[in-house]
Amino acid sequence: MAGSKLKGRVKSSSILEVIVSMVIIVIVFGVAMMIYTNVLRLSLSAKKLKAQALLQETMLKAEHSTENTSQSVTVADFRIEQEVKPYPDMAGLIEIHLTAFDANQQKIAELQKVITSAP
Amino acid sequence: MIKASALYIVIIIALVIGLLCSSLIVAAYLYRIQYQRKFRQDQLENNVSSGINILLNSTDASFTREKTFSLFSNDMDSVSLQKVPWGVYDIGIVKTFVQRDTLFKSFSFANTIDSAKWAALYLIDEDRPFSLSGKTTVRGDVYIPKAGVQTAYIDNKAYEGDKRLVIGTKRTSERKLPPLDDNRLKQFEQYFTQAANGDSTLSGKDTIKNSFLRPTHVFSFKKTAKSIENVNISGNVILYSDTTLTIDSTVILKNVQVYARAIIVKAGFHGNCQLFATDSIRVEQHCNFGYPSCLGLMRFKSPVVNFQAKISIGKNVSFSGLVFTYDKMDSPLKPLIITDKNVKITGQVYSQGILQLNDNTEIDGSVFTSRFWYKNSFTLFENYLINATINSKALSPYYLSSGLLPVSAKKKKVLQWLEAN
Repeated sequence: MAGSKLKGRVKSSSILEVIVSMVIIVIVFGVAMMIYTNVLRLSLSAKKLKAQALLQETMLKAEHSTENTSQSVTVADFRIEQEVKPYPDMAGLIEIHLTAFDANQQKIAELQKVITSAP
Repeated sequence: MIKASALYIVIIIALVIGLLCSSLIVAAYLYRIQYQRKFRQDQLENNVSSGINILLNSTDASFTREKTFSLFSNDMDSVSLQKVPWGVYDIGIVKTFVQRDTLFKSFSFANTIDSAKWAALYLIDEDRPFSLSGKTTVRGDVYIPKAGVQTAYIDNKAYEGDKRLVIGTKRTSERKLPPLDDNRLKQFEQYFTQAANGDSTLSGKDTIKNSFLRPTHVFSFKKTAKSIENVNISGNVILYSDTTLTIDSTVILKNVQVYARAIIVKAGFHGNCQLFATDSIRVEQHCNFGYPSCLGLMRFKSPVVNFQAKISIGKNVSFSGLVFTYDKMDSPLKPLIITDKNVKITGQVYSQGILQLNDNTEIDGSVFTSRFWYKNSFTLFENYLINATINSKALSPYYLSSGLLPVSAKKKKVLQWLEAN
């Protein structure tokens, strides 16, 4: 009975074909994974964007503040370093340098601006 | 017969995976490019803002020529700043660039008001009182002669205003007006004395527009009395005339400067411009000058035939900005500012000579004058204010004054954004 089902001949791949196919598929998958991880790694993280938005917000506040001093504040998992110094050769102007660090103390974003000392 | 063909299937699978990977790379690349563009844009906007702050705090001598420098001595922080005196105000031009991206902004800026020197009225002390009659209101701090303020009965009308006469603090004025800024006056003197070279005709175009980023477009009509009509002129344009220049109501002027011996603005004109003359300015009725505008009459040398320099403002004119007269020689025939009925001035009036206010004139802002005149059919009254309103409280708190005037503080602010990309 079983022999009647196998009346037609099934053409199978040779062992060489199978091995080559397997090698190709492994290489292709390997390259694809490499590309995928690279794209993921190199694309911008939401963390960086958030840090930049935070720095912009801090700068805006500093522009409307009358007392800007060098200080370090922690906002939403970020440590923001604010460095204030007088702008060279210009009275009434200060240079503000903001740097955001993450929990691992790695620099995520920075922002520099010249603002008036008394808005 | 079924074909096994493992290699074909693998190649097709590899192609599909390759397609997916390439689309992933393209998407990531595009996202990155867009993000970098946005980052550069933010950086440029920050730098422009820094540049604007530097220009607003700069002293008069700096940045008169375009100056390019690095803001923080880093990459991506080059700015180019320039300050151009533009009549009684200044124009600031800020350009900043990162790689091939450039951002620019041009704006006019002016001084804030020094509240310690600000006054609704400053009338110099000539040893006689200042009198009010009719429906007159003076609201705000005033500097008046030692003899004080009193009511008067003129033209069969008594004083009908507030019982306090002056609604504000009264201080004693000096014998001379606080002076105008010397540097700016010198600059005006230069404009009037130097021979201006430029196009002698308006070239028949209906619109003349020039950016503040480009050199000033000068039209010099020399000694031809010119009447300009049916044209829209805006931006970095100066019109010069050695004689009379007539501006028709069909003309639209926007941020333009005009220098002439005499200027006539025809009835119904609308626009915002700065008009400077040495002999006279006549603004006919129903004209509307938007903020910031300026009417300035300046005499730097005595005319061959002595006559009174005059600014006359016609009926129902609405003016926003600065009206001033200045006479370097301080000649006995003092310059005159006359306002007709129902004139509304929002801003400042600085009259080194005489100010003649007619019925229902309203000045929302400040008046500095040596003398008031009021004329009826028979008599001329000196230092009488009749049926007029001077109200400094009605002026917008955002109003900015020119550095030319003595009430201006050192602090400067942006007056008007002109151009940006």
